[in-house]
Amino acid sequence: MLLSPAFAQKTQKPAGKPAPAKPALPPAPLTALKGGKVVTVSHGTIENGVVVMQDGKITAVGGPSTAIPRGARVIDATGMWVYPGLFDSETRLGLSEIQAVDMTNDSSEPSDEIMPHMHVYDAFHAETEHIPISRINGITNAIVAPGDDDTLPGQDSLIQLWGPSGEEMLIGKDIALAMNFSANQRRRRGSFENWKYPSTRMGLATQLRQTFLDALDYKRKWDDYNKPAEKKDGDKDKKDDKKTPPKRDLKLEALLPYLAGERPVVLDVQESTDLYTALALAREFKLRVILKGLTHAQINLDQIAATKLPVILGPIYEQPRDDERYDAVYKLPAELHRRGVKFAFASYDLYAVVQPRNLPYEAGYAVAWGLPWDEAMKAITLNAAEIWGVAGQLGSLDAGKTANVVVSNGDPLDVKTDVKHVFIAGREVPLESRQTRLRDEYMKR
Amino acid sequence: MSPVRRSLFAFLLVVALAAFAAAQQQPSNPPAQTQQPEAPPPGQQQPAPAPTGEPAADSGTQAAPQKMAKPTGHNEVVIKGGTLLTVTHGRIANGQLYIKDGKIVAVGQTVQAPASAKVIDATGKWVTPGLIDAHSHIALDGDVNEATSPITPQMIMLDAFQYTDKGIYRALAGGTTTSLLLHGSANMIGGQAVVIKHKYGMDRDDLLFPGAPQSIKFASGENPKRVYGGRNQTPATRMGNFAVMRQAFQEAREYMREWDDYNAKTQKGDKDAKQPKRDLKLDALADILRGKLLVQIHCYRADEFLTEMAIAHEFGYKIRAFHHGLEVYKVADKVAADGVALATFSDWYGYKMEANDAIPWNAVISMRKGVRVAIKSDSDDLTRRLNQEAAKTMHYGGATEDEAMKMITLNPAWIIGVDDKVGSLDAGKDADVVIWDKYPLSSYATPEKVFIDGDLFFDKSLPGYGMPYYTEGK
Repeated sequence: MLLSPAFAQKTQKPAGKPAPAKPALPPAPLTALKGGKVVTVSHGTIENGVVVMQDGKITAVGGPSTAIPRGARVIDATGMWVYPGLFDSETRLGLSEIQAVDMTNDSSEPSDEIMPHMHVYDAFHAETEHIPISRINGITNAIVAPGDDDTLPGQDSLIQLWGPSGEEMLIGKDIALAMNFSANQRRRRGSFENWKYPSTRMGLATQLRQTFLDALDYKRKWDDYNKPAEKKDGDKDKKDDKKTPPKRDLKLEALLPYLAGERPVVLDVQESTDLYTALALAREFKLRVILKGLTHAQINLDQIAATKLPVILGPIYEQPRDDERYDAVYKLPAELHRRGVKFAFASYDLYAVVQPRNLPYEAGYAVAWGLPWDEAMKAITLNAAEIWGVAGQLGSLDAGKTANVVVSNGDPLDVKTDVKHVFIAGREVPLESRQTRLRDEYMKR
Repeated sequence: MSPVRRSLFAFLLVVALAAFAAAQQQPSNPPAQTQQPEAPPPGQQQPAPAPTGEPAADSGTQAAPQKMAKPTGHNEVVIKGGTLLTVTHGRIANGQLYIKDGKIVAVGQTVQAPASAKVIDATGKWVTPGLIDAHSHIALDGDVNEATSPITPQMIMLDAFQYTDKGIYRALAGGTTTSLLLHGSANMIGGQAVVIKHKYGMDRDDLLFPGAPQSIKFASGENPKRVYGGRNQTPATRMGNFAVMRQAFQEAREYMREWDDYNAKTQKGDKDAKQPKRDLKLDALADILRGKLLVQIHCYRADEFLTEMAIAHEFGYKIRAFHHGLEVYKVADKVAADGVALATFSDWYGYKMEANDAIPWNAVISMRKGVRVAIKSDSDDLTRRLNQEAAKTMHYGGATEDEAMKMITLNPAWIIGVDDKVGSLDAGKDADVVIWDKYPLSSYATPEKVFIDGDLFFDKSLPGYGMPYYTEGK
């Protein structure tokens, strides 16, 4: 039987639930970290604390008297900081190897603005050198999003930065739909005669509206088709005889879970003007929204707070506009926090060469500009997990969660700090990369 | 560096005058730069009213452009109570710094200063020299590359200098007080740079670093390859890159010989000697060969450093610094032996093929092997927080505090050729000073006050834009 869209949806994994791991490796070892300053994120900081990991999960977090099971590998973390693995809320990890070399880039399908049927997991290159490089600074989870050249460039995946293979690293396929409303999607490149629809914000909004209407119409057709035929004259079922199934359209089908509010749409908006239009569109189609960007929407922070929507912030390094103060962007996290907005940081940014490994420093810089330290830490751990719907597994040091744990020799948000141990799903990951190998090789020469 | 090469502005004046004079006068030496007058010392360029000392009103974005009183350069300030990071002689806890007439007069545990000096209490704060960016493209409004020919040493960056660019102010607010504004990397030899102090709000010439030597920017590798190869022109390869450069220097040698012959003849009183035609491009190349310009080279790969050094030896000029230089760690001993400095990123990598072997330990490995290393921005973003970028060398490679600070102060000052004037808290140097709220080599510090030549050019506590001398409008 042909898969109807309704059926296809049922086979998809529910958003945010990790895929069951293949029994490819022996169970993650029993490990205890002892004596460190344990930043749980969810329930404060424990001096001289203990964290126990078994079978890939955190099994205990507590003070010095916490029982350490017999047979555990005990790591003395005295003088160290212990904290949950850091969560980057947008990267291109596994989609791009070398920015300027086209053949190594898989982040955008530029032929059309509407590409919701693109799945990051189809291109995710688990062996990218960028993953071990990022891991060394304590990044254990990331949202991989497609590029921002299209209005609907595809669906994001949630990854874990280590796994027996790429399959296990993809712990949330199609976790959200990326939607860029930053006006750079306008096909207005080159001279006037080369412009292409949509070339204005009006065109952009209209094209999206039409796409969503088409998807709803498509759903109606399938719903009609799937509806059991009215039973008259004692017939058992007339459906198969009389109805022709509608033609399947993967593009429109991909939008259905989002139009049903089952999964979030990540709405990338940089400016106030676009914010209003994009939010109206989202409301019109009852989309569940995570806002992203807002870098130049400072005058609308109160309105943003009133929406109660969560926000993903890029690094705050972007330049202010000419009519903005020098510190306008720097202060964005502190200003959002003051208004009670829940937000998480992403290392990805349109305008700067940024890397996941700098995520903690980006959060630290928000502290320099007024964000409380605890909030900055949350914005790269628990807030991210909550916003992406995986707080049951990630984001804090709590028994029952995935054992993604980092041990460093100091404040995780400070540049000087060195990460000493990284555990992903309870396994210690070697702090090696192509870069450390080059370092070691040439140091000897 | 010759004391007669004082300022870019003076240089341009002379170039302009030379155009008039060329027909009548016989220049004894083709490059005009040798004849320029000295620039007046700082603070004496234009008599100006004293600053009011009143903070600028918080006029938001509505205010009309409004110039405030200019700084005099004659302030007397004592900064007390902070921890000084002197760069040259370590930390001084609870130290004092005395500034007068635009210069640092004394630095120490205590200083002798007259009662008339304004006292700034920096208790609990940190005091460093102004940060120096050895590689910036701000204030050029996109006029960075004359990407129409691979050899354009006659391009003068000052002709494109946008002194009203807010990038200058944003960098200032990040503690950067001096920058080398360079051409882009489209051309093998791109043009002649500008050295500025970030005196945002003042007139163009007030921003020019008095007495700074002239730098010239070279580039090699993927950028010129892409620009010219993309047009099916030479250079499309690294071989092409260097062939074009050698050819240019060869022509410059012949040009110099013509002028030498001519000068020799006229000196002997030969009235019939025919004056060679002046050529700005060849003049500039001749200046490189005569060692009159600091050669700053954009290049990435180990093989390129070796080729660049070989060509410099072949034609007899010195290279001041490799910029980017992401693979210097592979041949650091050879680079150090040639006395070439490195102006690099702390951790950028992988954005293009020639950046694929970049490692964040480059700065420290190269430093340990004897290379003078600076962390630079090449970015209107990074130039606003060079302190954080330098702190990364403490993380990657274990640079000490002094070493990390040196990479954003004294070492870039040397690369620019102004290390005798700026880059450390030492008596006699220009009073370019930053007061930070937190330990500067961290994620957490922001500048509270920035002094240039003894005048307060940025004050975070001020409303509006934090600029004492200028309100919104530029």
